[in-house]
Amino acid sequence: MRGYLLRRLPSALLVLLGASFLIFTILRLVPGDPATSLAGPDADAATVAAIRERLGLDAPLLSQYAHWIGSLVTGDLGPSYAIGGQVADLIGDGLGATAELTAAALLFVIVLGGAFGILGATSRSGWVRSAIRVTTTAALAVPPFVSGVLLVMLFAVLLGVLPPGGRVPFLGAPDLAAQYLLLPALCLALPSAAVLGRYLKDGIERALAEDYIRTATAAGVAPRRLLWRHALPNALPPVVTLLGMQTGHLLGGAVLVEAIFAWPGLGQLAEQGLSRRDYPVVQDLLLLLVAVFVVVQLLTDLVYAWLDPRIRWE
Amino acid sequence: MTELYPSPSPSPSSGLSRRSTLLAGGGSALLLGLGLTGCRSAVSESASAPQETGAAPKRGGILNLAINADFTPALLFAQSGQSLQQRLIYNTLTRYDDSLTPKPELATSWTYAKDGRSITLKLRDDVTFHDGRPFTADDVIFAVKNLQNPVRAAQLRSTAATINGFEKRGDHELVLKLAHPVNNLFDLFEFMIITDEKTVEDAVTGKKLIGTGPFRLKKWSPGSGLSLTRNDSYWLPDRPYLDGVELRVIPQADALISSLRSGQSQLSFGVPGKSLSVIKSDPKLKITNYDTGAGAIYLGVNTTVAPLNDKTVRQALAWAIDRDRLLAQTLGGYGLASAAPWPKSSPAFSEAHRTHYTHNPGKARELLRSAGHSKLELPLLHIALPGDTAIAESIQYDLKQIGVHVTLEPTDGATAQKKLISQEMPALWTMGHGFAQVQPSTLAVSAYPFNEAKNTSKYRSAAYTKVVQEAWTKPGTSAAGANALHEKISGILLDEAFIIDLVVRGQVQVNADRLHGVALNKFSYLNLDNAYLA
Repeated sequence: MRGYLLRRLPSALLVLLGASFLIFTILRLVPGDPATSLAGPDADAATVAAIRERLGLDAPLLSQYAHWIGSLVTGDLGPSYAIGGQVADLIGDGLGATAELTAAALLFVIVLGGAFGILGATSRSGWVRSAIRVTTTAALAVPPFVSGVLLVMLFAVLLGVLPPGGRVPFLGAPDLAAQYLLLPALCLALPSAAVLGRYLKDGIERALAEDYIRTATAAGVAPRRLLWRHALPNALPPVVTLLGMQTGHLLGGAVLVEAIFAWPGLGQLAEQGLSRRDYPVVQDLLLLLVAVFVVVQLLTDLVYAWLDPRIRWE
Repeated sequence: MTELYPSPSPSPSSGLSRRSTLLAGGGSALLLGLGLTGCRSAVSESASAPQETGAAPKRGGILNLAINADFTPALLFAQSGQSLQQRLIYNTLTRYDDSLTPKPELATSWTYAKDGRSITLKLRDDVTFHDGRPFTADDVIFAVKNLQNPVRAAQLRSTAATINGFEKRGDHELVLKLAHPVNNLFDLFEFMIITDEKTVEDAVTGKKLIGTGPFRLKKWSPGSGLSLTRNDSYWLPDRPYLDGVELRVIPQADALISSLRSGQSQLSFGVPGKSLSVIKSDPKLKITNYDTGAGAIYLGVNTTVAPLNDKTVRQALAWAIDRDRLLAQTLGGYGLASAAPWPKSSPAFSEAHRTHYTHNPGKARELLRSAGHSKLELPLLHIALPGDTAIAESIQYDLKQIGVHVTLEPTDGATAQKKLISQEMPALWTMGHGFAQVQPSTLAVSAYPFNEAKNTSKYRSAAYTKVVQEAWTKPGTSAAGANALHEKISGILLDEAFIIDLVVRGQVQVNADRLHGVALNKFSYLNLDNAYLA
């Protein structure tokens, strides 16, 4: 496993370096800059120039890039141009919120997706299978901005049992935090849970149709043991890869869900940073997201290799 | 991988469903129930009620204010879309009443020199900053010098820059000397927040906001909002009534409305005009339309692009727009259809100017023909947000009726702002402007689209410069004289039509019916000195 990991690391680092250059360049190609954004619509040229000089935007582009990479290496991300505060603090706060939301959504994906998959593959009741099919189709078809609004209307406005938005950090008050977390996490998780459920159902059905299952059934193995010890482990590897990919989708989807539920995570931070051309915040954030994707992919491959030894021997 | 097992059993699917259902269902229910069965309810926690009951006004309670954009510390000294917290943490020297007469705040009285070249201010002597330091004349001197710094991007910098001398007469009396007389000094006094010099650099990064206002900063969480707590040493006796204010960022309009309707927020100024009908039907919410504050929607014209360099063509565009329909369809009827920039509270307002251009496509076509055109193709830049897009589409429809085919150029806010400042706008653009709600001269010296020396329309005229400078630098002018100057400014704006005003917008406040005593100053700084939750 260690050798496998070492083989994968250089390409991961190369991806990060390439991404950093692309992010820096593309951001500079977007019209507008932090100075004009900060100067406001009533500014004169002197104001814009003074702000540009203060932010170091009058320096050559290559030196700005080198300065950025240097700051990343030393771990001092510096101050935000427009939003205010230190970039590291902003990203740290947002990362905590997004991680909380993504983790809760992932939990929903595993629980709901697992239930959809196992029940869909094993239930003898046509009614249950149809209900699961309809639920997963609806969960896939309805985009989060619609399901989010529907959930808020039902639970927050009509029933008044859950807050419509906002966040209480989990470590401070877990009971309140869970209530704030419930709707956005569910909204974010639904499409991924449906995808996962369908994959799992197909995987279990395929595994249950294998010859060795028939042999084991004939030998009198308990159905529960057949499912948990044989069918499920064999159906899992592709589902784990899918779960890794879905984690990426959850992070991406969090941007939209965070807006609907006023969740102060990285999505909101990215939107704020981009609209104000806050280069340090946006650059660091995008690079962080690339890094997260690379790490998730690496972890997924490692888990896959662990589950299927053929992969690590290749 | 083969194992041998002792006894046969039914098919793999049999017997699993009920157990699996219970397991899976139980797990989901556990997760779902985690919040619902929590020992406290997040819903009731957020609807904080005052602790005392009795005769109004009541003390206590936390006000939750829903805002659609977060506090931007770098814009602390500028007026922006989110200036609500300014007057909660800080004070200003004076504030206007409804008739634009200045009233005391940190300045108790003032005397203008006869030549208009200095003003003597007497200041309150019982005011302390949040850190306990007493407020003195030095703080006013710092506040003025601070606004003169271009890095602060304060829109009223040109007015602050006219103050070129300070004469302290003790700790609480100060003479401000002016390079030349100006008639919008009280606009500056209402705009300029009094900050603590020692911590000002921390203030513009959001670390520490120290003022003399009714609330202290407890915490700013970027992206989440501001948490303010009552200033127990506030100079106004027994105020504020509220224990604190939470400014919560809710950027999405539907989420913001849900927050108000569910009682999680009790106040907001961020509900889009088109969504106000939802609020109107809710008996627990109230809508208040302020005459002042936000500004106006306009159609900007680049006067260097042919054939828009001909004012007849510009006037044709001004006649073509159906302002009433624009108001009804895009702003939910909240605002004032007007060809001139002034709100009703402005001394420059006149009904004749407001209705100078009405919807008259026949006249517009005739003017276009007289200028030698029957069909035109022009680009129109607008900000790519739903409300702004609807306005641009409405303009596009009206102009099409007179043969002017407009191509929409949706642009993000930062780019539009850059193009506005650097005079790179295409032939037409639509945006909003402010600063018509105070002294009329401020519009022409502080609102960039109208600036006589340099504006996005690239409109220059000696007559316009002369009248604007005269209106700005003659504080001693009689009411009749001032009116005559305002009349001239409006006349030029309407005749030259380089900025075609469409709708004057005020701030629209939505609040829970149990919230009372909310006020805004002319720059949309929220004043909660007298606010309470019943």
